Amino acid sequence: MLRAAGACMILTGCLGLGLWYREQLLGRIRALGLLRTILELLGSEVRYGRETLPECCGRVAGRLPSPCREAFRQVADRMGQNTGERFGAVFRECVGEALDSLPLTEEDQEDFFRFVPGNGFTDGQMQLRMIEQSRVRIETRADSLERGNVERCRMAVGLGALGGLLILLVLC
Amino acid sequence: MDNSILQLFPFERRAFWEKTASCQARLREIRLRVGQPAVVYLGSRETFLDKEGNFTDSPARGRIVTGTELEELLEHICSYSPYAFEEELRQGFLTVNGGHRVGVAGQVVMEREGCIRTIKNVRFLNIRISHQIRGAADKVLPDVYRRGVPKNVLILSPPGCGKTTLLRDLIRQVSDGNVYGRGRTVGVVDERSEIAGSCCGLPQNDVGLRTDVLDACPKSLGMMMLLRSMSPEVIAIDELGSREEFEALRSAAACGSNIMATAHGEGPEDIIKRFDVPEGLWRQLFQMIIVLGKENGSCVVKKIQEGWDADA
Repeated sequence: MLRAAGACMILTGCLGLGLWYREQLLGRIRALGLLRTILELLGSEVRYGRETLPECCGRVAGRLPSPCREAFRQVADRMGQNTGERFGAVFRECVGEALDSLPLTEEDQEDFFRFVPGNGFTDGQMQLRMIEQSRVRIETRADSLERGNVERCRMAVGLGALGGLLILLVLC
Repeated sequence: MDNSILQLFPFERRAFWEKTASCQARLREIRLRVGQPAVVYLGSRETFLDKEGNFTDSPARGRIVTGTELEELLEHICSYSPYAFEEELRQGFLTVNGGHRVGVAGQVVMEREGCIRTIKNVRFLNIRISHQIRGAADKVLPDVYRRGVPKNVLILSPPGCGKTTLLRDLIRQVSDGNVYGRGRTVGVVDERSEIAGSCCGLPQNDVGLRTDVLDACPKSLGMMMLLRSMSPEVIAIDELGSREEFEALRSAAACGSNIMATAHGEGPEDIIKRFDVPEGLWRQLFQMIIVLGKENGSCVVKKIQEGWDADA
């Protein structure tokens, strides 16, 4: 009886490990999807409302899940206080902190921050194009990950289960 | 202390502008030109700023404004989103928090149709400080009312004599109500954001508690919109400048609204000459004319005239 319970636990543990690894792989795709949504929301605020970027952050915040919601709200609040801080710096600081908690690579984050304007004149079309470029890069990366991940996920779960069986065989 | 001047500048420059901002009550204009020292107008005095931001009368000791500094300032004023101010930049000015107006000049980019697309390489900025003078209309207020109802008023003067300041205070007092009449709903079409000094649609000047402002909207269009949407008892516009606007004012008057407007001109005769509008129509529309001018450097009310006859 005890042996059977132990065997079940080993098998479940290994399968769980495989599923956890699969979740990690899927988590990045989901996080990239979130970045894409944020850029789409910002784009529509710029396109239709001609809002300033700090105002866009305030409006978009309510439609985002935590921790991005708090980060975007913080950007809007800090810029609203007009302490003279630059938008780029505040945005990178607050949103960067929130993105650090998501399973994203540095490259993913850089692609996202690409739309933040530097010095120089940016008209509406240019700003929208910058947002669109960031979105396309993120989307392309998410697509390629998604394609490769189907196999990887299957392998992770399969390896987990097989690993469990192997341990059982060795122990028996 | 109201630090709306200091808030115009990015954090790194605030220490430099602190002294200037502390003189906000006397501050009239700040002029920034790339490669030239910053010029500050305090009352009627022209002064420059040295490296520490202190006032100096010698241009040679003035700190030279750099291109980067001007770009950073404009970016900050535009909340790092110049695209949101495209239309304003096309007009050549932005209205910022506090109702101050920032004029820009540089290289104009034209569109094929002969319209201005934008201004790039901004090299000149003129920050005009907004000063609302409460009570500016006190002297004319008794004449503006007839049996508790405001008349249709036209304020005339050459530039810089206080037309807008007078109109703004008239709007405030008519809207809030005063000893001569109850408070009335006022609709303001503020095409150049000079009356209410709106920033993001919010008036920065006190224009009264019953006032609705249509900001940055062409006057003739705006008057019709206000009539349809807000049913104002009084409609106010600044710088009446075309036949189209005159016709819109007539329509507003025909709908039962009272009118308050300003126009550039030395007097009634001057305005009749300048506009392609028959004298009879002017007579029909405006019941009262206020002519402003300058005496010993101060803006004064030169004439308050009932109707269009000079001796009235």
